Amino acid sequence: MILQKAKYFLKEALNSLWQFKIRHVFSLTIICLSFVIVGVFLSLSNNLRFRARELSKNLMVVFYLHKDLTASERGLIEDEIRHSPLVDSVRAVGPEEASEKFIEDFPELKDILLNLNINPFPPSIEASLKDPGLPTEKIIQFIAEVKKNSGVEDVQFNREWAEKIRSLGRLTEAIGFFLGGILVLASFFIVSNVIKLNVLARKSEIEILRLVGATNTFIRIPFLLEGMILGVAGSCLSLLVVFFLIKLFPLYLGSSLGALQEIVGFRYLTQTQVLALIFGGGCVGFLGSLSSLARFLRM
Amino acid sequence: MIELYHVWKQYQKPLWALSDVNLSVTKGEFCFITGPSGSGKSTLLKAIYREVIPTEGQIIIAGKNIQRIPDHKICAIRRQMGIVFQDFRLLFHKRVFDNVAIALRVLGTHPRDMKRKTFIALRMVNLQQRLWDYPSQLSYGEQQRVAIARAIVNNPLILLADEPTGNLDPDLAHEIFGLFRVINKQGTTVIICTHDKELIRRFGGRVLYLHEGKLHEKDIG
Repeated sequence: MILQKAKYFLKEALNSLWQFKIRHVFSLTIICLSFVIVGVFLSLSNNLRFRARELSKNLMVVFYLHKDLTASERGLIEDEIRHSPLVDSVRAVGPEEASEKFIEDFPELKDILLNLNINPFPPSIEASLKDPGLPTEKIIQFIAEVKKNSGVEDVQFNREWAEKIRSLGRLTEAIGFFLGGILVLASFFIVSNVIKLNVLARKSEIEILRLVGATNTFIRIPFLLEGMILGVAGSCLSLLVVFFLIKLFPLYLGSSLGALQEIVGFRYLTQTQVLALIFGGGCVGFLGSLSSLARFLRM
Repeated sequence: MIELYHVWKQYQKPLWALSDVNLSVTKGEFCFITGPSGSGKSTLLKAIYREVIPTEGQIIIAGKNIQRIPDHKICAIRRQMGIVFQDFRLLFHKRVFDNVAIALRVLGTHPRDMKRKTFIALRMVNLQQRLWDYPSQLSYGEQQRVAIARAIVNNPLILLADEPTGNLDPDLAHEIFGLFRVINKQGTTVIICTHDKELIRRFGGRVLYLHEGKLHEKDIG
């Protein structure tokens, strides 16, 4: 019996979707666009967070040295770093190696580098730390000790980068939720108005149902289902769009991003995020219909 | 079956659509309500199926005071009634079968019973051959017979008809009234609003006359 009723409600909802297809395509597009915005920003945020995590895993401090240091002076600094209880391993990177790495990462900038006629990269020492969970203060103290050496010109500590990237990830997510939220709210009102139009278009049918003794729930369920189907279809469509955007965007950009491609290399949404977006779509559709029915199908 | 006590209805001051209407219709009665246009016939029927709420007075249907029933439970009262309108009120995008079966569907009737009962109702109005047609493919008389089939498909205690032959020619009107008589003979209380005196005279029964909202018993013969 329940199955029969469910079949009837679904049939009614699908009939209505088909009957008023133009306005439904319009609302579907808006829902889809809203969720595409959320999806793209979520994907960007996922990527930035992943990069931040990767950076944190390989906790490293890079000491850039003066170009004119002698080999023995470099050796002294390297020894000092190596003997620190915080350091796991040390690797000296010469200007040539740094230059090669740069060309490898940014091939399109190769000509600029070659035209300089000098190698702008200083020698450096990369120190991998023993414990990724070390408190930042301890590491900063260690850096300060090493920096006392006049041969050390600059220091790059990737935890700061990781923190920055993580913050950027959070910011991206927040922007996504803000922009997406506004559009999702717009979708809510559009679904609500589309269902309102459907209710008005089917006024005589509703009247007949009421006269033959239909309960309010019986009349409302097909409209609620209609909204939910719209919402779920819109969000599923948006997931498809996001998927293709992620696949196609890097192809469009080609190799122009160089090493940055690694950083902004798009990752798809997690399973939880996919399910949350589909559920969110269903909720937007359901609540949109409900608000419309509460106002226009009061019995 | 239907009792009205001092029922008054005012839509707009100072006119009264119903003015101190007292009525008692017993089970199985065949009853006409007649009167000129704007006399309050439709308002009286609407008050019985609680489409309008009287300004004053009480309406008792099958022992229940329908004014005391909350809005969301009024469907239970309407399930005991069949209603036929002058404009048929059919769903033109649904087939004849679905138009009739809708009254059973809202009750949650099993599909097997629904098919059987719908077929019986359509056979009664002699439309069993047009089961899968759309209302637009039917004549006016046939459309009204579909509306009657929908009204009787769940064996209602009361059948209310508001100008059911207003759009039909005299022969079709006669045929429709004949159908109401048959339904009445099966035990259903029938109340028909009409101003067709010729048909009232031909079919007989109790006649109530409404004039400016006041109800009087009348002998048409």
